[in-house]
Amino acid sequence: MSRFFATASSDESSSSSASDSEDEMPPTQRKPNKPTPAAFIFSDDEEDTKRVVRSAKEKRYEQLSSLMKNIRNSKKIKDFNKMETSFVELTRAYDKARPVIAKEENGVTPRFYLRILVEMEDLINETWEDREGRKNMSKNNSKSLGALRQKLRKYIREEFETDVAKFRANPDADDDEDEDKADASESSGDEDEDNFRKSTSKSREGSHAPEKPTKVKKQATGDDDDDSDDSYWDSDGESESDSSDDEPGMSLREKFLKKTTDGEGKKDKKERKDRKKKEKLKIIESDEDDDKEWTTVTGPGGAEKPKMFEKDDEINHELVLKKLIEIMSARGKKRTNRKEQIELLSELLSISEENQLGSGIYTKIHFGIIAAIFDYNPKVSSAMKPEYWEKCMPAIEKLLAMVEENMEELATGDNITEDQESFETKPYKVRGCFLTCVERMDEEFIKVLKGCDAHSNEYVDRLKDEPRVVSILQKTQSLIEAKQGSPSDLCRIYLKRAEHIYFKFDPRVIQQRKGESDDKEETSLASMDRLCKFIYSKDATDRLRTRAILCHIYHHAIHDNWYEARDLMLMSHLQDSITHADPATQIMYNRAMVQLGLCGFRHAEIWDAHNALLDIQQGGRSKELLAQGLLPQRHHERSNEQEKLEKQRQMPFHMHINLEMLECVYLVSAMLIEIPYMAAHEFNTRRRMISKSYYQQLRSSERQALIGPPESMREHVVAASKAMRNGDWKKCRDLVINDKMNAKVWDLFYEADKVRTMLARKVQEEALRTYLFTYSKVYDSISVDSLAQMYELNKTVVHAIVSKMIINEELMASLDEPTECLVMHRTEPTRLQSLSLQLSDKIAVLVDNNERLDLRQGGWQGGNWRGKDDRGGRDGGGMFGRSDGGRGRGRGGGGKYDGDRRGVKFSDKNYDNHRSHDNHRSHDNHRSHHDRQSGRPWKSRDRE
Amino acid sequence: MAQWDLSSKIVPYLDRHLVIPLLEFLSVKEIYSETDLLKAKLDVLSKTNMVDFVMDIHQVLYPCQDEPLAKLREKRETVVQRFDVLQNEAEPVLQMFSNSDVTAQAQSSRDPKQLLDYVTKHHNFKPALTDACHSFAKFQFDCGNYAGCLEYLYFQRALIQVTDATFMSGLWGKLACEILTQSWDAALEDLKRLQSLIDDPSFGNSLQTLQQRTWLIHWSLYVFFNHPKGKDLIIELFLHQKQYLNAIQTTCPWILRYLSTAVIINKSSRGDDMKDLVKVIQEESYTYRDPITSFIEDLYVKFDFDGAQQKLRECETVLANDFFLVACIDDFIENSRLMIFETFCRIHQCISIDMLAAKLNMTPGEAEKWIVNLIRNAKLDAKIDSQLGHVVMGTQTMSPYQQLIEKTKALSFRSQMLQMNVEKKKKAQEQPNWGNEGF
Repeated sequence: MSRFFATASSDESSSSSASDSEDEMPPTQRKPNKPTPAAFIFSDDEEDTKRVVRSAKEKRYEQLSSLMKNIRNSKKIKDFNKMETSFVELTRAYDKARPVIAKEENGVTPRFYLRILVEMEDLINETWEDREGRKNMSKNNSKSLGALRQKLRKYIREEFETDVAKFRANPDADDDEDEDKADASESSGDEDEDNFRKSTSKSREGSHAPEKPTKVKKQATGDDDDDSDDSYWDSDGESESDSSDDEPGMSLREKFLKKTTDGEGKKDKKERKDRKKKEKLKIIESDEDDDKEWTTVTGPGGAEKPKMFEKDDEINHELVLKKLIEIMSARGKKRTNRKEQIELLSELLSISEENQLGSGIYTKIHFGIIAAIFDYNPKVSSAMKPEYWEKCMPAIEKLLAMVEENMEELATGDNITEDQESFETKPYKVRGCFLTCVERMDEEFIKVLKGCDAHSNEYVDRLKDEPRVVSILQKTQSLIEAKQGSPSDLCRIYLKRAEHIYFKFDPRVIQQRKGESDDKEETSLASMDRLCKFIYSKDATDRLRTRAILCHIYHHAIHDNWYEARDLMLMSHLQDSITHADPATQIMYNRAMVQLGLCGFRHAEIWDAHNALLDIQQGGRSKELLAQGLLPQRHHERSNEQEKLEKQRQMPFHMHINLEMLECVYLVSAMLIEIPYMAAHEFNTRRRMISKSYYQQLRSSERQALIGPPESMREHVVAASKAMRNGDWKKCRDLVINDKMNAKVWDLFYEADKVRTMLARKVQEEALRTYLFTYSKVYDSISVDSLAQMYELNKTVVHAIVSKMIINEELMASLDEPTECLVMHRTEPTRLQSLSLQLSDKIAVLVDNNERLDLRQGGWQGGNWRGKDDRGGRDGGGMFGRSDGGRGRGRGGGGKYDGDRRGVKFSDKNYDNHRSHDNHRSHDNHRSHHDRQSGRPWKSRDRE
Repeated sequence: MAQWDLSSKIVPYLDRHLVIPLLEFLSVKEIYSETDLLKAKLDVLSKTNMVDFVMDIHQVLYPCQDEPLAKLREKRETVVQRFDVLQNEAEPVLQMFSNSDVTAQAQSSRDPKQLLDYVTKHHNFKPALTDACHSFAKFQFDCGNYAGCLEYLYFQRALIQVTDATFMSGLWGKLACEILTQSWDAALEDLKRLQSLIDDPSFGNSLQTLQQRTWLIHWSLYVFFNHPKGKDLIIELFLHQKQYLNAIQTTCPWILRYLSTAVIINKSSRGDDMKDLVKVIQEESYTYRDPITSFIEDLYVKFDFDGAQQKLRECETVLANDFFLVACIDDFIENSRLMIFETFCRIHQCISIDMLAAKLNMTPGEAEKWIVNLIRNAKLDAKIDSQLGHVVMGTQTMSPYQQLIEKTKALSFRSQMLQMNVEKKKKAQEQPNWGNEGF
């Protein structure tokens, strides 16, 4: 049953609203002063009426009209209490308006005013007569009724006796005699009459069946949260009110509308409807059994086709536009049936196409449709439904096609105000921005993807839309280019394009680099380059540029353009400023950094790789930092809000970076750096940890009672580290590179074999270094030849490695050239000597600490100071240990972690955070990186 | 040899007039074909007003074409006319400055404003004259009359503020003139002035600054490789001034060749400078590489002495064909040998002289002599074992005692300072402290 009503009522509402809108707005005199919210970006904002300067007359009339509306509303629900207050206000307002009216109407009381008085009088008399009804009335209401009756009578008698009498004599003579000479064309006048009669007949018809709808209403009130339900409830209410009650007042309002602005009239009307509905709801609830009071109206018949316009209407621009505005103005209202809106608009489009109203109108309607589709999903956070997504793309494609076809005579844009719009004559001007639509669509696409389960077919199906999205973006781009859009528009669309390119690997780039394929073909890298460079030079907002840089870096990195990626990262100075960026950009930064690290690894730049990955890996939060999943919270629950936010930030699955690969690369890099370092500084008290989480892995494996053969990736790396520790490079290599690890990690690289060779070579070299560090004590001399054999390295390579170690004073030895031997300079200290050396080290640390204390806490009280000093003296050993550790942490920029566990903490730590690794060879490199950036201006990138 | 020639890269950053000496140098070296060079020269000169010069070249290049020559003659006429016009316009300035009052005032007044006030008051000077002065100077420069240009630029500079639009261009013009008239001291001064102007934070946006710096870097090559102190200054500017190093890395990595040469030649600057340089070279190795930078890389990164030796030989030819570096070729060879040897000694404890000779590109006899000299000059702690033909290095290991002493040397002094500080503070605290405690 309810279904039946649903269709019937919705039909009704469309036709009735169509008819009354016609009444309201005589076609020729429509002046759309107020921009409808065509910019969908702010679609949620209901109150974006612009301030309009109005004349006194307009103001007064408006006031009156709104009061009259109130009265009519209360009349419909027979709320006399309200009516009374409204009436008092109305009389007051009328007094105020009197001078204006006197001027405008030559002292004659305006008919609309009389009409309301007469209507009220009629109603009151009628109700008064109906004694039974009066009894049933609430106490309050009946009291007001009495009071109102008195007041009204007095008021009319005193002031408008004659006028009212005149009016009663000729109530239907329309107001337009004096007002609408110019604009009331014959046809519209006729229409008016027609409609009037029709609708009254409708209402009469409807009043025969008052019972059923109320029941429906009752149902509806129960679950009016539900979209579909409350939508037909809406329309039901609307239709009823429109058809039954509005008509008499129509012509009156018409008069107003000519003076006030359309949009406001619309709005008022809408509001009124809303209010009406609410009130009605209330009443239904309060006096449910009072059915007789209610003369609800259903449609003239469910089967009737919805009619946009009357049959004999001449469909022209104004009419369609008016209709459009009417539909659109329902946007964003709570009770608007969003689904129906889409349908209405599509219908409107087909009608206007039938009548060939020109592409200006089509475009306008298209904008409306797209906006309505976007509106369909009321929540910002969740994705739109797939069926609407499927509707959305063709709609946008059509829009773009339209814009493209009419390149010459169609101008769109947000800067065109409602006033400047022109639909009838070429060049058409339409308010609305297709770029914004496309951007929104792209966002929705990401959301839709995120809404699917990443491992389901559904996701794959959605992902198949990607090329289509890309082609839409491409089309938009070419459109904007052809239209010579503003640089900022171009930047926006370019960035969108870049964001769809950047994470995709293009094998053509590599082929081209090897000379295997045609050089002229534009690879993704080249197009990326073009897009980004444009943004660099033209963008005025920092955000777009930052994002473009990050995309660019990422793209370079996945294509093994290590130097370009690195330089871009260094020159951008992003490391310094990224903490201030929005989370999305920070995530992007993390992603770019990770790719940079992986790329560095493939280029055998182990140090850089390690440093790039260090921050992401630290604390095991890589998943969170890359927005590839939520981490369970350990310390406190995250609130719903936070969770929602974090979920919004997540990357869609197809853009994820393999976390295991990431961790493996990090651990292997850490191993290659840390193991030789540990061997070299075995007895050094000032030894620092280079990578903490690597140590954690090592330690956790040491804690195990029984160590079995390695299973997981981590275990492999740990076992390999142990092998390297002993200088056993073959075992180490086999542990890092084997079938298991290949399947898990190494095969994921594009040129896996190259990476493996590089890695094996690195393992050899670093194992050699470790060996020399660890066992140099045992040797007096060792021939370079035998070293080369042991490590299966070229003699020159061994020579170079050994030379480097000697030069850097890591190895106390020198080469004997004629015999090709490495001669150790034995400085093996005795136990006493080594102990005293250690002691001297510690004393130096003590002095250092004291000095620092002195500097920092200069203002301390003497007593405090002494106390500290004493303690330092007593348990010196322990303190050294601690202070050492503390410093070790301090250098890593660990301090930058603010321990913020609330949201995602996006690490800002960067390349230069190891500045203080003073003795390490690579360190200097890095510092210079950093220095080099400073003062290197951005623009400089455009070398060509 | 053309592959290592940098002319094509440098020329875009030079003034037309500065290019001419470069081209003349190249024509002597016969790397490129003579006609190509002449064409290039013609191209360079065509936009200047040195019409006579153009006509000469034209005749050499296209001996039997008269039509362009006629055009050139016409041009010559117009140039002469214009010269006269401009000269007349700028004449009053010259006269004014020939007045001894004015020169005295110019020397005594501290800023151009003062002088300007003075001359407007006493000599009926109009501000438009400075512009006339500037354009006449420019015209003279175009004609190749550098001395005259200098003179007028001097006047102009005396009269305008730093903020004036033509100030910068005047300064560049002056630098060009000084370079072309080979007065290196003055050129160096101008260079510094320009540098300080460019480095001023209010100079302009970063792109402009970068461009200006790049120009300055290229122009300064003339000065640095001709001025006696230039080799120190070039390191100072290119390596120690980070902005300039950045500019080199971003826009013109080929300048690294000159920087490397300067570092190698400069005896005093080895050590830290070399370390810095090695870093830069490594960073830029993917964009720029030539025998000189790879020599350094081989020696200090790869420790590949054979490779370094090979590169050293290439360096010789590169240097011989480089306009700026040709003068310092001997220095370069000597110093790079020393560098190889030094590195070698640090790594080895025993080296055969034959091998060393091969590495240093010398005969064994020469090498022995060279080493003996080094030992004699106390640059090297080593002995020659003449029987085996070995050089044996002195050991430089440190005994644990020495290490201990080194480590603890400063400690007692530092602690003493600390103690004194603490005492001072304590005393300050024990002083009666009014208005703090107890109230």
